[in-house]
Amino acid sequence: MNRERVGPEAAATPRKSWRYRLANMSWAIPALVFLLVFFVAPLIGNIVRSTTEGAAVTSGASIYYQKLLFDSYYSGVLLQTFKVSLITTIACLVIGYPISYFMVRYAGRWNTLIVFCLIAPLLTSIIMRTFGWNVIFARRGLMNVWLMGAGLISRPLDTLNQPIAVYVGLVHVLVPFMVLSITSVLQGIDIGLEESARVLGASRLRAFLSVTLPLSVDGIATGCILVFVLTNGSFLTMLLLGGGKVTTLALLIYQQFSVTQDIGFAAAMGNVLLVFALLCLALQARFVRRGGIKT
Amino acid sequence: MSNAVRVKLQGISKHFGTVQALKPMDLDVEPGELVALLGPSGCGKTTTLRIIAGFESPDTGNVLIGAKDVTDSPPNKRAIGMVFQNYSLFPHMNVAENVAFGLKMGGVDRDDRTRRVRDMLELVRLGKFEDRQIHQLSGGQQQRVALARALVTNPTILLLDEPLGALDKNLRERMQFELREIQRRLGITSLLVTHDQEEALTMSDRIAVMSEGQILQIGTPTEVYERPRTRFVSEFLGTSNILSATVRGEVRSGIWAVGFDFDPQAQGLVAMPGPVATGAQIQLAIRPEQMRIAEPADGSLRAQVQDVVFRGSYYAYEMAVSGSDSPMFLYSHARLAIPADRQVSLSWSPESAIRLSDLT
Repeated sequence: MNRERVGPEAAATPRKSWRYRLANMSWAIPALVFLLVFFVAPLIGNIVRSTTEGAAVTSGASIYYQKLLFDSYYSGVLLQTFKVSLITTIACLVIGYPISYFMVRYAGRWNTLIVFCLIAPLLTSIIMRTFGWNVIFARRGLMNVWLMGAGLISRPLDTLNQPIAVYVGLVHVLVPFMVLSITSVLQGIDIGLEESARVLGASRLRAFLSVTLPLSVDGIATGCILVFVLTNGSFLTMLLLGGGKVTTLALLIYQQFSVTQDIGFAAAMGNVLLVFALLCLALQARFVRRGGIKT
Repeated sequence: MSNAVRVKLQGISKHFGTVQALKPMDLDVEPGELVALLGPSGCGKTTTLRIIAGFESPDTGNVLIGAKDVTDSPPNKRAIGMVFQNYSLFPHMNVAENVAFGLKMGGVDRDDRTRRVRDMLELVRLGKFEDRQIHQLSGGQQQRVALARALVTNPTILLLDEPLGALDKNLRERMQFELREIQRRLGITSLLVTHDQEEALTMSDRIAVMSEGQILQIGTPTEVYERPRTRFVSEFLGTSNILSATVRGEVRSGIWAVGFDFDPQAQGLVAMPGPVATGAQIQLAIRPEQMRIAEPADGSLRAQVQDVVFRGSYYAYEMAVSGSDSPMFLYSHARLAIPADRQVSLSWSPESAIRLSDLT
């Protein structure tokens, strides 16, 4: 009864004053300060360094970038980086999607165990996991001993220090990201959708291709971009398993630091890699929003 | 449609792990008939439907659609139309694409497809909604798209899994009639799964009441409502007054007098065909709307009004029966003018008291 006398205007007054809003925003200050000091400032420093140090002083500010894009060796490395990331992403997708599908549709109570198996390796250092492959792939390593013991090969295979070892190592490390991205989307797809497609005359495969797959595009896109960006930034796997056969931008940065000590060039490469990553993220934001399906 | 088929379940059973979901069961659905599987959750009604659809395979028994044994056919080879509980419409397709899906899978060419989709959407009164996205539709409209999608392929039978469960009450009642009308017009053999007794009573030609993996009783809505065989059936199809009684003797041909344990003075009349042994213990079910109130007289059940609830189209009276712990219910269209402390007598016509087959 009281409310009627006060009138609707009183009820419509926004309760949040500017003071309230300011107080709310102040909670973000510690995080903002942290990011400014340890993230934004170093990034700016990196940009400055790439245009003012080493060769940039004598041969012009953009010399490192010109070298990266137009020198055939460096543009080859850029292309190689792109190729490695693309192949790794496709391999992760091909391996990861069936795992996700199995987890969501058939695993039931085993699901938790599978998730644990996927996450547990992430708790181990990437160096340890990569060295593990070293042990397996080495000339007298596990793989060769077993294969020769089984009589399948007569001479040890030369797997280590080949591109294949790098791909195996990368996929091993990155496949959980793909699986988890796809699983989260698949879980939201009602199994009834596949069943109604089946009842309407679709075979198992057709029901999957025309219903489940298009609906899980979001998860695929997220997983692919995640794996792609992470591969772009990896250098340990190439360093430990590639034996110099697979040179990517990230590995080159590492070498600029530890071998040639050309800090300015390393900074320029870092920035190019950063632009790569930002492009991917922009692509993802666009893709997922467009393909986003409201149920 | 004159080519309606018969559906036959022969000795179907199914267990999940250690749970016996379905005890060996037979069911015949006549061509063009709509049979409702009615029961509480976990009674096996959905399992039965999923076995007919082919999503589950039975441990024993056969499923026949028409003359064809489909027990081992996959769902896509059964030519079934099905409406799912939450419709399961494809969210990445618009209305027309959803309805056309089954035709596309069946290899119907584009022109034919467009024409049949249009006709079917016309039938479910969604003629102008072809290009709408699914999430732009209301619940009732989605329900109709689901129905159109299920029917457009001219399926041999129609399966409805709680088709109206997600709608609000008003819409649900309207859709019950609409769905029934469309099913009759097409003359398609149909099975409806529901836990809503009102829906089953309104929509079906026959109701199969299920509990714990078995069909307890099957018959027309009037039969199962008015002549329930067991206490479960009687209570599941609405409120029922259940009384334990002892047979005292035949009063006149087919009408028997019974006494009640809680009040030795009282006596009631029950219509029972065939000879019944005097002294036999029986269970009676009487619908609340069959109960009458009269001035107290010798040998009648005495009761007092305990509570009255207005239910819109009737008043529900909770009566405290003298000598008995459990109250009895009485529904009346008019408000009864009885003071709360007044003793009245409860009675019923002998024909409305049903002897249940449960043992006491």
